[in-house]
Amino acid sequence: MNLAVQIAPEHKSGLLLSNPVMTASGTFGYGTEYPHLFDIQKLGAIVCKGTTYQPREGNPQPRLMETASGVLNSIGLQNIGVKALVREKAPIWAGWRVPVIVNIAGETIDEYARIARELNGVAGVSAIEVNISCPNVSEGGAEFGVDPKTAARVTAAVKASTSLPLIVKLTPNTGDIVKVALAVAEAGADAVSLINTLKGMAIDSRTRRPVIGNRTGGLSGPAIKPVALFMVYEVAGAVTIPVIGCGGITGGSDAVEFIMAGASAVQIGTASFNNPRAPFDILRGIERFMENHGVNDLAELIGAARG
Amino acid sequence: MKQLSARIISHQQVFAGLERPAARSTSGSWLMWLKCPGIAGEAVPGQFVMVRCGAESVLPRPFSLHRVNDNGDIALLYAVWEGGKGTGWLSRRQAGDKIELFGPLGNGFSVFPASRHLLLVAGGMGIAPLRFLADVAVRQKKAVTLLMGALSAGHLLPDASPPQELLTDGIPPFNLDIIKVTEDGSAGFKGLATDLIVNHIDRVDQVFACGPVGMYRTMAALSESFPKLKSAQVSLEMRMACGLGTCYGCTIKTKRGLAQVCRDGPVFDLQDVDWEALRPV
Repeated sequence: MNLAVQIAPEHKSGLLLSNPVMTASGTFGYGTEYPHLFDIQKLGAIVCKGTTYQPREGNPQPRLMETASGVLNSIGLQNIGVKALVREKAPIWAGWRVPVIVNIAGETIDEYARIARELNGVAGVSAIEVNISCPNVSEGGAEFGVDPKTAARVTAAVKASTSLPLIVKLTPNTGDIVKVALAVAEAGADAVSLINTLKGMAIDSRTRRPVIGNRTGGLSGPAIKPVALFMVYEVAGAVTIPVIGCGGITGGSDAVEFIMAGASAVQIGTASFNNPRAPFDILRGIERFMENHGVNDLAELIGAARG
Repeated sequence: MKQLSARIISHQQVFAGLERPAARSTSGSWLMWLKCPGIAGEAVPGQFVMVRCGAESVLPRPFSLHRVNDNGDIALLYAVWEGGKGTGWLSRRQAGDKIELFGPLGNGFSVFPASRHLLLVAGGMGIAPLRFLADVAVRQKKAVTLLMGALSAGHLLPDASPPQELLTDGIPPFNLDIIKVTEDGSAGFKGLATDLIVNHIDRVDQVFACGPVGMYRTMAALSESFPKLKSAQVSLEMRMACGLGTCYGCTIKTKRGLAQVCRDGPVFDLQDVDWEALRPV
């Protein structure tokens, strides 16, 4: 049974995963928290915590709130900064079989480029995933990923600064995610991952204040799965680069649905909180589906629901 | 850390609910014993477990270990939040049902070998992790003074005596002194557990506490006059998603920098936390 998948076919060295199951950024730390718990080498790839140029302290508490079938979070990109990541984490990753993808986030286009340059030639880093759901601080605070032109400028700037395969993670908080996907593909993205969290809010009626310290948060979990699935279906029908599906995937059958919608790989996020073994259980679920349905190659399932 | 499914041995409500205009109310507190040798064998007092609370709950709920016995059983003592989806679901489980959990997690209390006498200060549900600490300390032949505070007599742990097995294995006499304190005076002293700290502080080697943030603020103020309190070890409650140090949902600011309550705590030194800046859960 062949589960291997190439998610950067346009890139000179490519990014071949042994299977389509990746962890979603921000839900699996730096991967180093887990090796003693599970055999993470079995995963397709690990996407690490969103990384900025300087270390960031993140947002005030509360940062989390469970909602109906979902979670609102506003962590605020608390992270150790790219230099500490290169110094402390990458040497550990260099000894791993599983590829590690570094998720990067900036407040200016130049910051994205500078982070990418710091990651060039670093052993242990296999690709970059660009989080374009950050506020564009120098241009009024709207998210980079909302506007196709700005999203393309970030993508082009990172592409020009790195020799690594480049995945762009798309935000659903935009008018037309297909236009953004086409724009970043045109600007040099090797793959797109979607969706990031949906903006949301919760209010505590007792205190008459938003629950989340930063007022709003990003909604994830099963609540957003149908939205994510449709966006993956739409984007996969428009772009020629691989699509990585993400949003509320909790079991193997969810993953199979995203693959049938056109995703070449999937990311597991919120499900890992309730079940730290979720990425492994989901991989096993995909394998079982293939066994039960006589599918020998994952490629047969990619986009099977289209047409 | 183990991730496993455990059978409920017994489960009953032990405290009445709490109506609190200034904080979220609870509809009662429950004591659940689980057959769980995988976790019992590793756990130390102050550590916690993450419990999955049914299909409707996307996040597991963190509960400190209340007791652990030699038969591989663990006990959780937890409050059911008013309208709480996860704790409400958990409270409806019955003996014989299985629940899924993982742990033990976090860093527990650190009792120095040379310490002979410990002061434990419990505010309300704060008795949850301190009971396990008292059991272990008594077994190590340390003297324990437990200030057990609650709103009223109905919110005090009904049975705070040492574990049954200690009564038969020749270790006694125990030196466990339980002092009850209630805000309404319906049992023991009238007032707060923190009111009595000054009566005992000179005689003890270490102080451990668990309770609401307000209690820690009082202790921090007291520590100006009683420096021994500065190194009191206190357990924090915080909203969590992963429990493993990966999501950064439970980060707090400490005087030693940012800390994740799940991985770096939940036990912190009283003097390391900025209590005025910390928002109660």
